[in-house]
Amino acid sequence: MEDYSNKLKQLEPLVATSGVSRRDFIQLAMMTGLSVTAAGSMFSKAVAAGTPKKGGTFRMGMEGGSATDSLDPRTYADSVMIAASLAVYNGMVEFDNAGNPIGELLESWEAKPGAVEWIFNVRQGIKFSNGKTLDADDILYSIGIHRSGDTKSPAKGILAQISNIKAISPSQIAITLSGGNADFPVIMGDYHLVVVPNGFTDWENPIGTGGYTLASFEPGVRLVFKNRGDYWKEGRANFDTVELLNIQDVAARTAALQSGQVDAVNRLDARTVDLMKKNKDLNILRTKGTGNRFCFVSRVTSPGFSNKDLRLALKWGIDREKIIESVYSGYAVPGNDHTLDAYNPYYNTDMPQRKYDPDKAAYHFKKSGLNGEITLSTSEGAWGSAVDCAQLYQESMAKAGITLNVKKESADGYWSNVWLKEPFCAVYWARRLSADQTFTQVYGSGSDWNDSDWRVPAFDKLVEAARVELDEEKRKAQYFECQEMIAEDGGMVCFGITDYLDGYSSKVMGTQAHARYDMNDLRIAEKGWFA
Amino acid sequence: MLRLILTRIFLGCLTLFAVTILIFAATEILPGDVASAILGQGATPETLAAFRIELGLNRPAYVRYFEWLSNALQGDLGTALTNKREVLATITPRLINTLFLAGYAAVIAVPIAIFLGIVAAINEGKWIDRAANIVSLGAISVPEFFIAYILIFIFATNLGWFPSLSTVYSDMGFWQKIHVVALPSITLTMLVTAHMLRMTRASVLAIMSQPYIEMAFLKGLPRNQVILHHALPNAAAPIISVIALNLAYLIVGVVVIEVVFVYPGVGQYMVDGVSKRDLPVIQACALVFGGAFVLLNTVADILIIMVNPLLRNSR
Repeated sequence: MEDYSNKLKQLEPLVATSGVSRRDFIQLAMMTGLSVTAAGSMFSKAVAAGTPKKGGTFRMGMEGGSATDSLDPRTYADSVMIAASLAVYNGMVEFDNAGNPIGELLESWEAKPGAVEWIFNVRQGIKFSNGKTLDADDILYSIGIHRSGDTKSPAKGILAQISNIKAISPSQIAITLSGGNADFPVIMGDYHLVVVPNGFTDWENPIGTGGYTLASFEPGVRLVFKNRGDYWKEGRANFDTVELLNIQDVAARTAALQSGQVDAVNRLDARTVDLMKKNKDLNILRTKGTGNRFCFVSRVTSPGFSNKDLRLALKWGIDREKIIESVYSGYAVPGNDHTLDAYNPYYNTDMPQRKYDPDKAAYHFKKSGLNGEITLSTSEGAWGSAVDCAQLYQESMAKAGITLNVKKESADGYWSNVWLKEPFCAVYWARRLSADQTFTQVYGSGSDWNDSDWRVPAFDKLVEAARVELDEEKRKAQYFECQEMIAEDGGMVCFGITDYLDGYSSKVMGTQAHARYDMNDLRIAEKGWFA
Repeated sequence: MLRLILTRIFLGCLTLFAVTILIFAATEILPGDVASAILGQGATPETLAAFRIELGLNRPAYVRYFEWLSNALQGDLGTALTNKREVLATITPRLINTLFLAGYAAVIAVPIAIFLGIVAAINEGKWIDRAANIVSLGAISVPEFFIAYILIFIFATNLGWFPSLSTVYSDMGFWQKIHVVALPSITLTMLVTAHMLRMTRASVLAIMSQPYIEMAFLKGLPRNQVILHHALPNAAAPIISVIALNLAYLIVGVVVIEVVFVYPGVGQYMVDGVSKRDLPVIQACALVFGGAFVLLNTVADILIIMVNPLLRNSR
């Protein structure tokens, strides 16, 4: 019952954008015990509520900020500054809720066959908050600050593939890549790539094309934004004022939301979220399986782990469901031994989800001809609950007759001393922008971060072919095969992908799950409104 | 007496100087190269080298130390490496916030602690003595964040008397601040009261076994008068030093409370600085904390000299 009414709350905002039909809505409403008439009037109300209304002060309490924050896009690293940035600036490319790139300030694009040469069209008639009109030079400058010689921008790496970039008219940009990449528009959606006027350097007084302007900024404490009044996106930027408070502590965030001091918070605690769902004034939004990917990674070049049967035993011998239930209170989805998530358009839906099977684990272990113990290095430094997960793994392996030693390493220096060094250790991976980026960075032969040391020329060839493939059907087949290769042969046991949990006051509308980030792609200030 | 006081002040300055060396040395040995910690994933050998030169890390440590020291003496604490803001401009409002919270808690805690300490000493062994002991020890033996969450649960979430977020802004009025910061200051009061109360009680009782106290009793004075007029002035020295210690704790040791109540103090600034390896920020915060400690202890020493008749009248 609780679950249904919560679902219903989540559906209401979708009604207006015709994401939910009247029939589905009423059906769900009746499951919560409402009569047809009541449900019908609720639907009409939801339609009305679905039309964005202007006004109000929207207060967000978020984790992921620090006293060292700045509105210089080359310094962004966490949620607070990404959300702040998207209130003041616009990106080059936006993503729809399913995760597909759609035009933002780069309105549309086209690739020549081979995906090496690209033409991007700059959106026309857009004004910066200082009155200047957007043109191609602003875009060139905004990309250039991440590429110039001594820049410290984290986006430098992903932009290294650009070999030539120029404006062919005030409304068009031509980009030539060093090699074909059909996913290039996705790269342009990276959160560091926001647009400022040509030559802009005064990062304390940012000028952007976003829906709000910055009113005050105390790093690590609070950001205040005022509505600009003439935002170019219809139905967006609806609040008069937006306040973004830094609240690092999850209990403090929860208390602030419950006592009505803020209207929205990010990263709720999975252990208490069920209690919060019972509160009618709150709307808990869960985005399934787009968070961190938790893995135990073996290096396939190490003695023992070079045996494919042993790796299969490791994959069959982990009880994913149990770990998710007991460590993450059910707020995660099982991983299928690769780091792509179900929101990715190329996620392999044909491959069956691997489940705990002690018999199969025992069979492969026996077939491997190895006996003796396996040692798994883990630490709080890998991720908060990595040790708990490893201990549950140990239990489920023991039921298959395999002895797994859990070796607890120091959290300090875990990434430099254990990761990429120990033959079998705990690792988490964050979501990558595209399937290509995932496969290249995590499993590509040329990647320094290929932590399973699984370097397979046939796989690299497949990824390279898919990168320049503009035929969607063919590309999908190639990426499906990539996932099968990794899951079947690779050294990674990816057992779970966490959910994002946002909390909203029930009067906040426009809250939807998004494929990329929580809080509606960290754009809730732009997309939301008060009922 | 003047000479004694001047000696104290000189020693305080000397300690502070030693502290600056320690701070600098500690930031030098922070694990991980500073440049690579700041650059993170985007680090390449060229950007690293360029950044080290920009930070001046290619010069020897002692040169950088004296440069930093002489700048700090002139009030220039440098610019934050991460967001290029003036450290002094950022730290000043935060220091005022920290001092506000510490002062607020001290104004409640110190009178309560001394009053209850004396009451407990007068009524040694009676129920009121036991009650004061049990309550104050109970408060100190649970972790501070636990008290904080309980207070938030009762007074913010359920009763709604005080906000759970204690963030203060420059545009807030004095009474509004007093209201907003109530819960953290009550939490801190509960933490520091026990220590001061027990010290007051113990030092008063220690004096009580002295011959001149017995003399006062033999004169026929009532117990409370003996304590207030004869015991307390002589017990002042240890009480003053324990108060100084607790005031220093209120300034430098409240980062957990700052996190739980989202209070923008210096502690949070320093933690953020350390996690980003922002050296000027870390050094400035450490200097402020060290300075507060040395200052409070020097003041306490001077006060102790002044309340002690023997030292007061020497020369």
